[in-house]
Amino acid sequence: MALTPKEIKTLTIIITEGPYRSQYIEIAHNIVESALNNQYKVNLFLYMDATHIPKKNQNPHSFPNVVHRMKKLIKKGVDVRACVRCATARGHACDKAAYLSGVKITSVYDIPNWIKKSDKVITLSG
Amino acid sequence: MKSILIVVDKAPYGYEDTFSAFYVSIACINKGMQADVLLLGDGVYAAIKGQKPGGTVNYPNVVELSYLIFPESKIFVHSHSMEERSIKDEDLVEAAQVIDDIELGKILLSKTKDKAFIRM
Repeated sequence: MALTPKEIKTLTIIITEGPYRSQYIEIAHNIVESALNNQYKVNLFLYMDATHIPKKNQNPHSFPNVVHRMKKLIKKGVDVRACVRCATARGHACDKAAYLSGVKITSVYDIPNWIKKSDKVITLSG
Repeated sequence: MKSILIVVDKAPYGYEDTFSAFYVSIACINKGMQADVLLLGDGVYAAIKGQKPGGTVNYPNVVELSYLIFPESKIFVHSHSMEERSIKDEDLVEAAQVIDDIELGKILLSKTKDKAFIRM
């Protein structure tokens, strides 16, 4: 049964670790899928090394490509944003098409803005 | 959510995390939201006064960042973590509020409603 806009809850996930070295983004994706299945609105904020995650043209040989799953979740309505300070430091904000389509490069000010409107906040940080 | 507790357990300069924690706190305060910082484990090194990263690592000075969130938000420093590292109360910046395990428990338990926890 579809929920009314007032009944829809919001989950915000903040992740700080990059892909492959840690499993956090896979855990985040699992949580996101579960939340979407429970009709949550989901926000995902990429902070520090997590700003590496949506980089295009990744080609891991031993692990699932994190971008493939993120692409599907963005299509399902997940709002993914990356910290501009962190993305710039890592060389992702200067290239116009560095990131997967749909990922917004914004500021750390989105964290309080999102948290104010969230029912649950989860951080995945090492 | 109405407020945030940001938990830092890594030393400054060795990791980006302490700076990022203070940047989040500053952003929250500017948006009218209280965002206290809890320094645990190696995180307590961030509250030591007289730090001089300029001319050495050339990173931002975390003490200067801590004064950007004080007094709107609090900087809690875990006393047991200080003792483990031979850090005394007088070693800390004025903005620091030393808390023991009982106070830590009270902070965590009393502020869980409408409070987001962010661990860096």
